[in-house]
Amino acid sequence: MSEFEQRNAAVAAVSTDSKFSHKAWLATPRKKGGIEGCKYPLLADFTKKVSADYGVLQEASGVAVRGLFLINPDGVTEAILVNNLPIGRNVDEVLRLLDAFQEHQKNGVVCPIGWAKGKEAINPAQAAAWFEKHAK
Amino acid sequence: MSVRVGEKAPEFTLDAVVKGDFKSVSLKDYRGKWLVLFFYPLDFTFV
Repeated sequence: MSEFEQRNAAVAAVSTDSKFSHKAWLATPRKKGGIEGCKYPLLADFTKKVSADYGVLQEASGVAVRGLFLINPDGVTEAILVNNLPIGRNVDEVLRLLDAFQEHQKNGVVCPIGWAKGKEAINPAQAAAWFEKHAK
Repeated sequence: MSVRVGEKAPEFTLDAVVKGDFKSVSLKDYRGKWLVLFFYPLDFTFV
């Protein structure tokens, strides 16, 4: 979690379970399939309205698919990642996106394919120089 | 309604468990911070 805090980012999780189910899950040890010690809030979308608003409600089963939304400090959505039910997420990719958006915000540069912190981004006013240097 | 990049994320206020306590959490609470908001199907599964 400190990786997110360092980036001025909070994490919150949502499912269509009740707050009571969340509380029970939080009280269950990891080895028993629980998430005891989890530090971020678990939100209870018991009416499924928020999942529907975000376009991640699977109508047939009534649960939310694995959607992730990166929302900036002004409340604007910057990135959306949605996986179907069987596949989990990659924290490193979320941190990479955060770094990239923050780099863009701070320096006005744009971050091409495969960019990660420490790599040179593109200054849009001098894009030709970047391609000259990096294109293969 | 659905969400698009570059547009305001839909506002919400939901019951939540925060550090063991029941609380109300709204999207507005996170203004001034980046927020990673993620959905998962069910408690007692993986995320």
